[in-house]
Amino acid sequence: MHNPYQPEPAKIVSISRQTSSVKLFRFEFAQNIPGWKFSYQPGQFVELSLPGFGEAPFAPCGGIKEKYIELCVRNVGKLTARLHAMKVGDRVAVRGPYGNGAWPAGKYDFKVQKNLFIAVGGLGLAPLRSLLLGKNYFLGKDTKVQIFYGARNPQEMLFRHEYENWKKLKIKMELTIDKEHAGWKGHTGLVTTLFDKCDVLQNSVAFLVGPPVMYKPVLERLKKLGFADEDIYLSLERRMHCAVGACQHCAVGSYYTCKDGPVFSWAQIKNIPDAI
Amino acid sequence: MPSAVKKTGQILIKGISNPDELNLDGQLPFYSFKRFFVPEKEGLFDYQNNKLRDKKSVYPERSQRALVGMNILDMKAVNLYDQVFEKDPYYQARRRNILIVGYSLTPEIENNIFEHKYEEDILEHLPFDIFLADYNAPSSRELRNSPPLKLRGGSGGLYKVFTGSIKGQRILEHFGYKDYEHIQFSGPIKEGEADKRMERLRDRLKNHHNLKIWEELGQRCIECGKCTLACPTCFCFRIDDAPAIKENLGERSRCWDSCYYQEFSEVVGGHKFLDNTAKRIHFWYFHKFARIPDEFNFMGCVGCHRCAAVCPVGIDINKVLEDIENS
Repeated sequence: MHNPYQPEPAKIVSISRQTSSVKLFRFEFAQNIPGWKFSYQPGQFVELSLPGFGEAPFAPCGGIKEKYIELCVRNVGKLTARLHAMKVGDRVAVRGPYGNGAWPAGKYDFKVQKNLFIAVGGLGLAPLRSLLLGKNYFLGKDTKVQIFYGARNPQEMLFRHEYENWKKLKIKMELTIDKEHAGWKGHTGLVTTLFDKCDVLQNSVAFLVGPPVMYKPVLERLKKLGFADEDIYLSLERRMHCAVGACQHCAVGSYYTCKDGPVFSWAQIKNIPDAI
Repeated sequence: MPSAVKKTGQILIKGISNPDELNLDGQLPFYSFKRFFVPEKEGLFDYQNNKLRDKKSVYPERSQRALVGMNILDMKAVNLYDQVFEKDPYYQARRRNILIVGYSLTPEIENNIFEHKYEEDILEHLPFDIFLADYNAPSSRELRNSPPLKLRGGSGGLYKVFTGSIKGQRILEHFGYKDYEHIQFSGPIKEGEADKRMERLRDRLKNHHNLKIWEELGQRCIECGKCTLACPTCFCFRIDDAPAIKENLGERSRCWDSCYYQEFSEVVGGHKFLDNTAKRIHFWYFHKFARIPDEFNFMGCVGCHRCAAVCPVGIDINKVLEDIENS
């Protein structure tokens, strides 16, 4: 019987530093498994397994058609500290992907109907990168994407050397940092303040990814702008152990963040107390 | 053969070798049969350095077990495990080796809050291999003085015997017993109209969140987690890596967890989504009376009242359910 807890061995093939506490790791599976090929959809996640240090969920952030998996990881706990101490060639294990993968693109015809508006804070940009890199594939060439991205300071902005390339894909970034910073000429203030400074793309579906504190104020703004609940999607963070909808840690109302999420429409979860 | 036996006034589940020890007087065993299905702790993998080795070949529960005299309430809980762990190879390996011998006498109402009764038409919704239906013992008091279980074939027998699996049939026939009736399992739910109490509780919990109930319970509950241990339908678990004494060796295992424990919902950075007792006790009730009904269309409570029996501050599930319904 297939064992859903069995991770596949993988090795680190490259490491690059993103910020003072965040590194981007690239992994490749150590062996070919007949009849199995790892693939995922934006919005899904994997469990990274370091024997002796446990497992933790991360959303892959590389191109979905690559043969490697990229994870953008902040050094904040036991497992991530261990990972940050590892070198190219070291072994890890990965299981997944998990999550509904119900990337709502199927619901909309982005090519003719909708644009995409994204409000994102801090590390939240990581899981979106798979979508952005495959923007033409997922959303079509002509669809516009607008991103409100907030970070603590300019050095904390992820993938900041890629924004120029994203621009060519009709992805427009509006950047803001929490406080004034030497040399920063862009916006300052929390993500919500961007709503006063920039016009939000008309006729959009909205994605929210980031620290939970961001969700309520951003939702308020979106509702004022007339976004329908079913056109707003949020990525929820919860503690996870099994990732297959059994252990109960990630339950939100009658949903499991691991199985039914982690991306939910606001219409799905707005009546669940403490969902956000 | 773990079976119900009577010791120090409590019915306990113990391995027996002499059938005279078996006690079938309708009292609920203090603990349920949960741990034979979902053990308090089980190894998933061994690891050496950073390599995981599947424990499949060394499942400790490989040996066969017969659970004799299982009451209807504990059998209902098995329906839940069978659903939740349907795709779990550790559970399935153990489940294959468990023989369930059910018994019809139902616990008295105080320990049977949904008043589940034995009727022949519920058998097709219970998971068992062999089932003993007692038609001649209307009260448990009389039965306590009756001789121990004797299976007699044909008319005049004390028990009517059913089988729910081929395994059960083989065993009976092996011992020369042929006068049984076979029941084909048709899923955990009775066809037809939905359980009205389940519908009502689910509706109240999902659409009429009543903060007052939970805040009041949050004041009383001391989060000891005893109810989750005693509850036959509490199955939540955590997965941990633990090093062995020898360097670079260790085990990844899962063990029972409790949603009453503070770190149950803690994420990196220390944030807890269930950040007070009221939220945690609500989580427990919501799981049993809203989430499980949504997932499987039956209640996540068999009504055994064990949670109330072990609660040090006297929280009575019966009363809580009434409060939810009247909210």
